Amino acid sequence: MRRKTVSLLLAAAMMTSFAAAPVFAEEIETEEATQEEAEHVYTNAADGMTLAIVTKAAGNPYNEKEAEGFTEVVEGEGGTVVVQHPESATADAQIAVINSLISQGVDAIAVAANDTNALSAVLQEAMDEGIKILTLDSDVAPEDRATFCNQAGVQEVGQSLIDAVYDLTGGEGQYAILSATSQATNQNAWIEAMKAISEEDEKYASLDLVEVAYGDDEYQKSTDQTEALLQKYPDLKVICAPTTVGIAAAAKVLQDQKSEVVLTGLGLPSEMAEYIGDDEEHSCPYMFLWNPIDLGRLAAYTAIALVNETITGAIDDEFEAGDMESSPYTLTAVGDSEEFSEIILGPPFKFDPENIEEWKEVY
Amino acid sequence: MAGKSGRTISAEPRGTVKKLLFSWESAMVLVFLGVILLGNVISPYYTLKNVFREMPKYLSEIFIMLAMGYILVLGDIDISVGSIVCLSATLACIADNAGLPFVLVVLICILTGLACGCLNGFIASHFTELPTMIITLGTQIIFRGIAEVSLGPGGSISLQNKDAIKLLSRKIGIIPVSFFVVLVFALIFIVVLGRTTFGRKLYAIGSNSTAAKYAGIDVQKIRWIVFTVAGTMAGVCALFFLASTYGASTTTGQGFEMEVIAMCVFGGIATTGGKGKLIGGFFAAFIIVCLRIALGQINMNTQLILVIIGAMLIVSVLIPAIGNALRLARKKAEKA
Repeated sequence: MRRKTVSLLLAAAMMTSFAAAPVFAEEIETEEATQEEAEHVYTNAADGMTLAIVTKAAGNPYNEKEAEGFTEVVEGEGGTVVVQHPESATADAQIAVINSLISQGVDAIAVAANDTNALSAVLQEAMDEGIKILTLDSDVAPEDRATFCNQAGVQEVGQSLIDAVYDLTGGEGQYAILSATSQATNQNAWIEAMKAISEEDEKYASLDLVEVAYGDDEYQKSTDQTEALLQKYPDLKVICAPTTVGIAAAAKVLQDQKSEVVLTGLGLPSEMAEYIGDDEEHSCPYMFLWNPIDLGRLAAYTAIALVNETITGAIDDEFEAGDMESSPYTLTAVGDSEEFSEIILGPPFKFDPENIEEWKEVY
Repeated sequence: MAGKSGRTISAEPRGTVKKLLFSWESAMVLVFLGVILLGNVISPYYTLKNVFREMPKYLSEIFIMLAMGYILVLGDIDISVGSIVCLSATLACIADNAGLPFVLVVLICILTGLACGCLNGFIASHFTELPTMIITLGTQIIFRGIAEVSLGPGGSISLQNKDAIKLLSRKIGIIPVSFFVVLVFALIFIVVLGRTTFGRKLYAIGSNSTAAKYAGIDVQKIRWIVFTVAGTMAGVCALFFLASTYGASTTTGQGFEMEVIAMCVFGGIATTGGKGKLIGGFFAAFIIVCLRIALGQINMNTQLILVIIGAMLIVSVLIPAIGNALRLARKKAEKA
């Protein structure tokens, strides 16, 4: 008898806790929703959809901001979001995660690819299962996805970076590049663009690229690589690091050593604020980036449009991206391709001592 | 219960039913079933079809695990296998892109592994004063270095012609071909270790290599053979790795050595040599794979999954120690 009472009580307790849980969650959601409404307008376009985003790896702040923007829009539009950070920054780890998302039967997957070709098999399989595939941040081979949300045209980034190097070296002298991994798709594309521009234009003829070092997007390795560069090239004037991990590591090394070498590249304002300045106390006069939150938001709207079949990924397709500044977006051709498309978020944004204080609060 | 797991050279009577039931290996089977059950409870997507579909990515490591089991039984270790995978995959890609026929590509992939393993074995058997940990640490760096040089500044290579390699990622029904290949290899490796004189020699060497030598076993020759086999299996692994990624990069195979050692140890094979059964390692491998798939399907944080697997490993090696401590305590209590 007593046992029965106890089990009844237990059951009752469980029921209440189950019942209480959703109420609690709902409350939070409504609160968030009201907060969001002040900023963004949503139309419930993702109702009933499950949209996933696969980042390059955990602990990459830039990727985390993309996921944040993605989540914000998908949830705002009434969909379910799955955010997956692979266990390491390799294509191999991403394959496992994408495989799992296929099993779960999500509607669309947005991937920031760790390798151009290695994801081919698993992405093809996903598309065979009717899952919409798009890439953001860094692309795969174009036949393996519907479209690519590009944070900036390769050419525009290359131009901004080489101009910064030109400006900071005073037009001549040695500079080095500190990149992510040697197979990082976008870093390689930007570096190639920088090289191509400086070869084509006489203006950059006196610039001497001494080495492209790879810090593998690991803080310690990037630090070591920076120190190695300083030792190897005593005449080095500028280091250009087109990766958020690399630039932060290099900035600290240069600033701690009070080095003459100055730094530019692509970095997160919140991580770089203490290094940005025009005086000798600071190692980085200015740098560039775009808004990863906006890139994530754009990816979410693209995913929704793909699932809604508003767009198919064909060139010249057009779609509304909520209240984003450049909306509506148009899918443009990748290079000279007649088949494969991408969506360019906008030009890179310059962070200098004037605006860094304001931006470091944002991301 | 696990303390006595695995056959040792000491002439214990052959397994009674009780011994079999309480062995580490049967515990592994139970845990395996437990993981399958868990998967079904926590994930609605944990169907046979999905599990088999996600499996190939993890299967390639099991090839190395089988050979690593042999090496651990010898009391040695090989931490260069991950780099061998990288080198084999890289050279196979280069060969394939150069237009060589696929049979030759397969051969290059496996022979590269064989050559690397043979080198490990040569050094290990001719310079016996060197610990194999150090030897293979050196060759690990060398093999990956050669791969990185071959890969060039881009750091990655991908197959231009994917049709032939796709044969390896085909499925029979819902079951991937690689699963059957793993089963065949596992059967051979398990039988050779458990049922042949060659296998018994491995245990003899692992228990006491000096005694084995005086018993007339050519210890160094056998070590050489086993390291060569391990390299070859890394080549086989590379082949199946290529079938799921269509390419190689500088990070290919990174950490494989630790994962397969973990599978072996979890499966009850002692790193000190002479103890443990390969079937334990085999089930351990599938426990880890099936658990990863289950936790992946509920979108658990991937880092947390690693933590859980690490914790399982620690617990598994602690269980015998705890058991011993309890037994000692009980004995003391009985005396008092």
